[in-house]
Amino acid sequence: MMPRLSLVVIALVAALGTSAAADDSYPNRPITMVVPFPPGGVADLTARPVAAAMEKVLKNPVGVVNKQGAAGAVGMQSAAVAKPDGYTLLLALSSISIIPEADKLFNRPPAFTVDQFAPIALISADPTILVVPADKPWKTAKDFIEDARKRPGQISYSSSGIYGTLHMAMELLSQAAGIKLRHVPHAGAGPALTAILGGHVDALASGPSVVLPQIKAGKLRALAGWGDKRVAALPDVPTFKELGYPDAEFYIWAGVFAPKGTPEPVLAKLRATLREAVNDPDFKGAMDKLETPVTFKQGDEFQRFFEADARRLAEGVRRVGRVEAK
Amino acid sequence: MLDVLSNLALGFSVALSPPVLFYAFIGCVIGTLVGVLPGVGPLAGISLLLPATFGMDATRAIVMLAGIYYGAMYGGSTTSILMRIPGEAASVMTCIDGYAMARKGRAGAALAIAAVGSYVAGTASVIGLMVMAPPLARIALRFGPPEQLALLLLGLLVLAYMSSGSMLKALAMAALGLLLGTIGIDQMTGYMRYAYGVVELGDGLGVVPVAVGLFGVAEILATAGAPTPPAVIKPKLSELLPSREEWRQAAWPIGRGTVLGFVIGILPGSAHIIASFVSYAVEKRVSRRPQEFGHGAVAGVAGPESANNSATSGAFVPMLALGVPSGPIPAVMLAALMVHGVAPGPLLIGNQPALFWGFIASMYVGNVMLLILNLPLVGLFVNILRVPYPYLYPAVLIFSILGVYAVNASVVDVWIMLVMGVLGYVLRKLDFETAPIVLGVVLAPLIELSLRQSLAMSDGRYTIFIEHRIAAALLAFGLALVLLNLYTFARRGLDWRARMALAEKGDSS
Repeated sequence: MMPRLSLVVIALVAALGTSAAADDSYPNRPITMVVPFPPGGVADLTARPVAAAMEKVLKNPVGVVNKQGAAGAVGMQSAAVAKPDGYTLLLALSSISIIPEADKLFNRPPAFTVDQFAPIALISADPTILVVPADKPWKTAKDFIEDARKRPGQISYSSSGIYGTLHMAMELLSQAAGIKLRHVPHAGAGPALTAILGGHVDALASGPSVVLPQIKAGKLRALAGWGDKRVAALPDVPTFKELGYPDAEFYIWAGVFAPKGTPEPVLAKLRATLREAVNDPDFKGAMDKLETPVTFKQGDEFQRFFEADARRLAEGVRRVGRVEAK
Repeated sequence: MLDVLSNLALGFSVALSPPVLFYAFIGCVIGTLVGVLPGVGPLAGISLLLPATFGMDATRAIVMLAGIYYGAMYGGSTTSILMRIPGEAASVMTCIDGYAMARKGRAGAALAIAAVGSYVAGTASVIGLMVMAPPLARIALRFGPPEQLALLLLGLLVLAYMSSGSMLKALAMAALGLLLGTIGIDQMTGYMRYAYGVVELGDGLGVVPVAVGLFGVAEILATAGAPTPPAVIKPKLSELLPSREEWRQAAWPIGRGTVLGFVIGILPGSAHIIASFVSYAVEKRVSRRPQEFGHGAVAGVAGPESANNSATSGAFVPMLALGVPSGPIPAVMLAALMVHGVAPGPLLIGNQPALFWGFIASMYVGNVMLLILNLPLVGLFVNILRVPYPYLYPAVLIFSILGVYAVNASVVDVWIMLVMGVLGYVLRKLDFETAPIVLGVVLAPLIELSLRQSLAMSDGRYTIFIEHRIAAALLAFGLALVLLNLYTFARRGLDWRARMALAEKGDSS
């Protein structure tokens, strides 16, 4: 009896000892930040300055790894099942809440679920804005919505892909305003922009930074934004909230996550690190160049934002339902 | 015109400044390397190096990345010609006649023609980009889904000319390629097709693992399975350069390939890959000796290698003039501009003249550099052929696996390559050609997407293809081609019957 007990005690002490040591010394080897999208995308362009700023604070390497595929599902899945030791982090976009819902819709085993992740911090949250070609008759969002009521299913819009962020933004607007638009999915945000510039569709919901040059050049007209505040670069463009559609709220956001089960002291350290990192001048400069304002939230605040957003998106996906092919 | 010249002077003052020159050179060297390494293509090369450009200024970054793109088109032909392993997907067609030339001891000539063709195409297409970018970009924008579908269907007709053997077999392979191209997430409904729970298959079969598998791995397996190893061809120094006759045969294909590639490059899609296929088919069609294709036709190397190079310049047209990507590679380059606070859009040329004209001028300079870099390398590369196969091929196999893995850090891609290698081996034994499979895999997702987007635009009415005039004209042209072919086919059939009838008569009498 005695020897066995002592063994247990030794094991316990050893376990406590190593975990305590891990807390003190975290991080003692390079941290990997998984970006589930290809280099050059929004997530990648956000992750790299974040990682560089974290590296400065932690004085420990933080490397970005692009694991793209299946609209982000490949990389998110790999991060979900990674060892929860704080050495694998994930930089995810809004689609983290959409993919599991879409999986549910098709009754397929989900690639991952939202509760496999512990949210650490929100880095940016850019509201989408509604743009139309400059030669179209709609001067205001009101014109657009009224015309869409008169001609249900006639006004078309492009998106980055079915159940993608740009699709969900339009869908939330359609549901809030009780209108029906015609969806023409494209393979990514770039082709979606090309489609509206070529006049092949009538409207697009887009992140502001991508369409600002086109608005300045007089090719596109911005009608309204999905944020709770107006976009700083477009002070004359109202929000849907102001126009009386509070449910049309949507952000393309980027946040840092860790796999669920990461020890609390490690999470605390990461939260403190990110709080400091977002004030780094180089980081701010990089985000300014991308014309993406930093919206930093963490702890309960991020949790609430994340859950409200996930609820809206889940509801949106369910209402879209399965799309019948034409 | 004076405007263009003074702008170009500004451009050269930027491009010839030592730091820009240096980054153009680095880009060209890296491009040649990623082109030579099987599996790693320009997209992978540019993606991997994108983060390294974040610290540079915008002009240097974009000059270096562009150097990688067109440099890869130079390098891609090397392994295709020497070992029948496509260095990148746009060099698949070069494998066929380039390798056949190498087996005849003309490897040096093939490499030199590929390099010179690339140079001519690169330089000539930059002129096109320089003087016509804004109007061309506007035309490109008019190509919406219906026009694209019409164009792609026209491209599919090209398949019929691709094979040197049986047309039926070529079409069967194309159909197989199109079927393989349907694997992955359905873009219109979000369904996973043929993925069997493998998330990585959501994006479908990548063209790189398919091409390297079907050509490279299959070639290695076939050689290993041969009763005697193929004779090692020792290249003689005197035979490195193309003969006068070979230059003559290459001249027109280079010219046609340049124009074709540039035009196709402007349009959205994986332009440089499609351009090389179309050029090969056109050359075979217009050639007075189509039977030579597949057995070392010079035109089969010169055309596609020129086309894939000028397609890279074409791809920059919508990117620089309008700020929209025409394919995945320009999309990454647009990101490189955004990181530096340069907003890509219709105002870019006006707002950033030093960047735009410096970029243009650097492409002239880069093409000269690549020619200087690649021609002496011909002498070096042909020496690879001296390495005995038992040493050479295992090394190549390892490089292929590394290259294909490196692109997405995906083991699934390696498996795809290996499975395609076995498939390619079996098909070769059965005397099927595998190039149409690659074209099918490239075209299927594009055709499907543009068809269904068109129908989404029109709410399901097929009349959209008639209402859109460009689409209607292209479809009419395609239909005419089919009818013309059917007519000659039917005539040949009649001839054959008549001859049989004559023969039978002769027998009975």
